[in-house]
Amino acid sequence: MEILRNIWRRKLRSTLTISGIVIGIFALTTFGAFAENFNALIDGGVKYFGGSVQVGPPDGQAAGLLPMSKIDEIKRVEGVEAAFAGYSFNAKPGGTVVVSFGVPDTIAAADPEENNYSALKLTFSSGRNVTANSRGEVALGSTIAKEFKKNVGDTIDLPVRPADAKPDFVNHPFSVVGIVNETKTAPDSFAYINIADGQMLLEDSLPAQLRESIDVTTITEGISVYGKPGTSLAALDKIADRINDQVPGVKATRPSDLVNAFKAGGQIFTGAAVAAALIALIVGGLSIINTMFMAVSDRVREIGLKKAVGATTSNIMREFLIEATFMGLLGGLIGYGLGVLLVVVRNVFFPAADGSTLFLITPTLTAIAIGFAAVLGALAGIFPAWRAARLDPVIALRND
Amino acid sequence: MAGVRLAGLTKHYRRGSETIRALEDVSLDIDPGEFVAVVGRSGSGKTTMLDLLGLLLKPTAGSLVIDDVETTRLSDRDLAHLRARKVGFVFQEYNLLSGLNVLENVMLPLRYVKDGKNGRARAVELIDRVGLTDRIKHRPTELSGGQMQRTAIARSMVNQPSLILLDEPTGAVDTETAQQLVDLLKRLNTEDKVTIVLVTHDTDVAGQAKRQIRLKDGRVLSDERVGEAVPV
Repeated sequence: MEILRNIWRRKLRSTLTISGIVIGIFALTTFGAFAENFNALIDGGVKYFGGSVQVGPPDGQAAGLLPMSKIDEIKRVEGVEAAFAGYSFNAKPGGTVVVSFGVPDTIAAADPEENNYSALKLTFSSGRNVTANSRGEVALGSTIAKEFKKNVGDTIDLPVRPADAKPDFVNHPFSVVGIVNETKTAPDSFAYINIADGQMLLEDSLPAQLRESIDVTTITEGISVYGKPGTSLAALDKIADRINDQVPGVKATRPSDLVNAFKAGGQIFTGAAVAAALIALIVGGLSIINTMFMAVSDRVREIGLKKAVGATTSNIMREFLIEATFMGLLGGLIGYGLGVLLVVVRNVFFPAADGSTLFLITPTLTAIAIGFAAVLGALAGIFPAWRAARLDPVIALRND
Repeated sequence: MAGVRLAGLTKHYRRGSETIRALEDVSLDIDPGEFVAVVGRSGSGKTTMLDLLGLLLKPTAGSLVIDDVETTRLSDRDLAHLRARKVGFVFQEYNLLSGLNVLENVMLPLRYVKDGKNGRARAVELIDRVGLTDRIKHRPTELSGGQMQRTAIARSMVNQPSLILLDEPTGAVDTETAQQLVDLLKRLNTEDKVTIVLVTHDTDVAGQAKRQIRLKDGRVLSDERVGEAVPV
């Protein structure tokens, strides 16, 4: 109560100080939410690619295709438990490329059995996954379902016909059989179909002259390879090395290389959040230091009196530290609240055209933003509090 | 009750290259329950003596015993704890906290003792005894000088100290109020058997104490009990 009164009795000064912290924590919250959103995306990639070995055509091969027979060869490599063919297509071909911080809408063709091996297991908010033997079924990620306003039982034409489509553009109706639970990462923008439908789309995508000469059931765009459940990243790296040694005509990428590449991408955004935190540290910290020094000057007699009635050095230090911490905390709560408000307004009222979100508030971010503000206040208060605590009571009591 | 013994108590200050001999080899005993006035001209050492008795200053030499506790070798922390328990202060300028009301001001010293949370009833009772019950929720700015000083006196008593030190307590109030304050102090001295040491320029106030110690140039010039002169 006394802390509030002390802050309130210097309204303008306290307001300006707290405003400095508000700005800093607001910047930290918004940049942090932006980084968290991107990091969630990256975490998904780390989880998926850290749990499998991706095999593609060797470097220098013009067409990004592999013979299906490679799957059996790969399965014979020591440590390989399963290998699955896969295809992916742009779900919205012909769209204008703009700067995007998300994954573009993608049609992913895979064996539903692969979900049993993947580290990023899909679960469904409604409906189910596609089955291996059906035709014309699709399970939509949460973002793509929202973007096209589709629910289980609806039909969606894939790939989506672009506005300027040529007369020979081909797409097919797919029945929506499931909506995937939100993952905050790539699957949210995916439309999952089975291998047979994927091969149909692959055939559509080939130049007309090649269609007759290529049997799409014998080729795949890539192969996802899995070890036994719980296989470590290092063990998967060794599997990748063995595939490269033992299976000609393919290139297995070490999962640790992919994981490191994803993590490097995330560091840029984490760096932006750290920069915001530094702004908060400098602006807010200096404001609090200044305000607390002035508070010490204003309250010299009060400090002297408290010492005269029995306050120890640590009592006085604690009182000023609590006040500085409270100011930091108050500024942090307001700045965080404003940041959350901006994020909610942006995500709910001004969503991206593809339905994806740009910001993500997480419990970690909440703890960091508010905790940082409180710690900042406490740290900034240390020197003024120490100075207050070291005042000579005799001089302080007779201070004018 | 506080028995206070000063033995060769000395306090020197350094001011540049000059040494200020604020108090020089003062030895005296103050018995429990005494009402002592310390008088003397400005610069005679009154306030230094009060600050030493209040454990706010450390002596340059000599010893100071309060309630059988030799205080000169205590740490700052132990001095603060002893001050909280044994000593109450009253200042000429009241030194009330403007953000706190009368009750909160009186309760302030309770923060710094272990069982302070149980002191609220005692604070309320003291406010009643100093005649400020109807002002208990008022802020210092809403009080007269006399009322502020009575609040300060109640504050000095809240931890039930054995020694109360008053620095010119009537210096900022009119004569009538000054007399009311002295009457209050005499009553507390009698009823609570609390030892009172009061520094004053006011001869009328000093004359009502049971003992007068006169300082000059940091030394005890005279030490008189009521009706007798005690040669030094």
